[in-house]
Amino acid sequence: MRPAAPLVPLAWLALSAIVRADGWELDLDGRLVSSDAYPSYTQGGISGVRFSEDQSGLRLGRARLALTESLGELWTVHLDASAWGDYDRIPAGLTEAYLQFRPYPFAGYRLRVKAGAFYPPVSLENRVAGWDSPYTLSYSAIDSWLAIEVRTVGVEAQLDWLGTRQGHDFDLGVTAGAFGWNDGAGTFIAADGFMLTDRQTPLGGRVGLPNDPVLMNYQPFRELDGRAGLYGGIELRWHDRVVVRALHYDNRADPTATDYATGAIAWETSFDSLGLRAESADGWSAIVQGLKGKTAIAPGGFYLDWPFEAEYALIAKQLGRHMLSVRYDNFDVDTSIAAGDGYQDGHAWTAAYSFSPDAHWRFTLEWLRVQSNSYFRNDAFGLPALATETQLQLAVRYALGSAVR
Amino acid sequence: MRPPARPGWEQSALRARAGLTVLLCLLAAVPAARAATLIITVQTVDGRPLPGVVVTARALDAPARKPQPIRAVMDQVDRAFAPDLLVIPLGSTVTFPNSDSVSHQIYSFSPAKRFQLPLYRGTPYPPVHFDQAGIVTLGCNIHDEMVGYLMVTDAPYYGRTSATGAWSTEVTRGRYRIAVWHPRMRESEADLERELTVGETDHAELTLRLTKTLTPAPLSERRHSWDY
Repeated sequence: MRPAAPLVPLAWLALSAIVRADGWELDLDGRLVSSDAYPSYTQGGISGVRFSEDQSGLRLGRARLALTESLGELWTVHLDASAWGDYDRIPAGLTEAYLQFRPYPFAGYRLRVKAGAFYPPVSLENRVAGWDSPYTLSYSAIDSWLAIEVRTVGVEAQLDWLGTRQGHDFDLGVTAGAFGWNDGAGTFIAADGFMLTDRQTPLGGRVGLPNDPVLMNYQPFRELDGRAGLYGGIELRWHDRVVVRALHYDNRADPTATDYATGAIAWETSFDSLGLRAESADGWSAIVQGLKGKTAIAPGGFYLDWPFEAEYALIAKQLGRHMLSVRYDNFDVDTSIAAGDGYQDGHAWTAAYSFSPDAHWRFTLEWLRVQSNSYFRNDAFGLPALATETQLQLAVRYALGSAVR
Repeated sequence: MRPPARPGWEQSALRARAGLTVLLCLLAAVPAARAATLIITVQTVDGRPLPGVVVTARALDAPARKPQPIRAVMDQVDRAFAPDLLVIPLGSTVTFPNSDSVSHQIYSFSPAKRFQLPLYRGTPYPPVHFDQAGIVTLGCNIHDEMVGYLMVTDAPYYGRTSATGAWSTEVTRGRYRIAVWHPRMRESEADLERELTVGETDHAELTLRLTKTLTPAPLSERRHSWDY
């Protein structure tokens, strides 16, 4: 018997389970890339963009399979798996996996409780399935950072007052989350700083390569000190036109906690995020968002911190099946170390045009230019601290699924 | 002998003609005395016709007449209620089939009718009975963007305005209370209630102009998978 033979019925079973699930989606995203950038963290370097000069050519942007299955009447399980073709050490895995409890709205209020691993409610641009952006291929600096090393591994509750369903102009929501296994968050900020990418680190995944002198192949989703992180936020919606979101996030890590076996350090990271998204009936969208925080470590009681902030403004216009988007990002990482270790500042322009002939196909052309000044690019890699990197991508995306029609 | 038939025939013909005239007069006079066309036109605050407005008319002089309950259907197609608004008389029933390939989970927390239809496709549930007047806002507990409305009314005359913003019905003469409602209207129903007397003319018209701007229409170009 050939060794692959037992896999056939297994694959058939898996496939029929997917197709019978309440919701499923399969996305394939191929890219044609032209870049002049330095190698990024996936190749053991520091870059402002995802693909480096030597990664120009045909790339797998993302392959994604998502499943949503109802468990009884009020529970749903969601699994989101992705693979990327960047030839690095984290090419596949689950980006989100959670159980959701959604009781029926009662007396004008709606409660949602999530348990598992998922994104905290910060992003205003990454609003389509798979935590992707409908506007650009590369996420903003803020969302790229969240994609690389922030995830809620824990519980989140959201309570919404559904005013618009009761004749009012507003809906109001409050969110609270408690989480663990994110003591690594902040490492990337202090090492590489901000960048613009659409790579999402899968759960349990590592960031960087073992020979990376600053990232050292660390695991962002680890628990080192046994202290739960917390966040709380509010969301105000004016009909379905304007959304305002504010969140305070603190992983409450003990900056002195160290895992001596691996050398991993807990990074105490906190930030405040505020953003607004407005949309008009004639296809205009505008998003402004800012995030300001600090990450700190204190190995052996020696306290070091890196205050950081990033903001962006995006404007997009949809014309039928066409969409044009332009975004400006600004970012800055400061440091308490006099020599400047981890210092970075920069800004980026992104322009994208997308054409969706139907629900299955989407063609996107994106131009991205990042200008940044990075201490470690010079200190650790011997490259000029100041760099201007340009990446041009043509993406062809095909989606198939129960909701893709 | 001349037959007497002719004058007799003429006489009976005259009588018949007179009788017919009286009958015709009566036929014309009875409805003329009792029925008229009521025409209600609704305009936005800037004077443009507003289609789809629910209009109800209740007689103030005559004893309250209840409308006949109906059996209505509100489907779910492409993750939207179809139609997105139904006006039904008090005591009516509504079936909520799901024609989508994905499951829906319908609910209402409106005081006029609280109910839930757990996860389903097709038409597994019996019709829902609506026995209290008011507005019932419907949602889907899976697809938060879905919204539908039922207006349960005890008014004997009801309907929705056409593309020209007008709705008309035949009523008997007398005084009427006219009310209008639209999901995007900011005024309460009571704010826009009017009294209208249908007098000796064959029709009575009322134009109602909203006093506030409408709330924005839901964005239609949003893709279904935009859910974060």
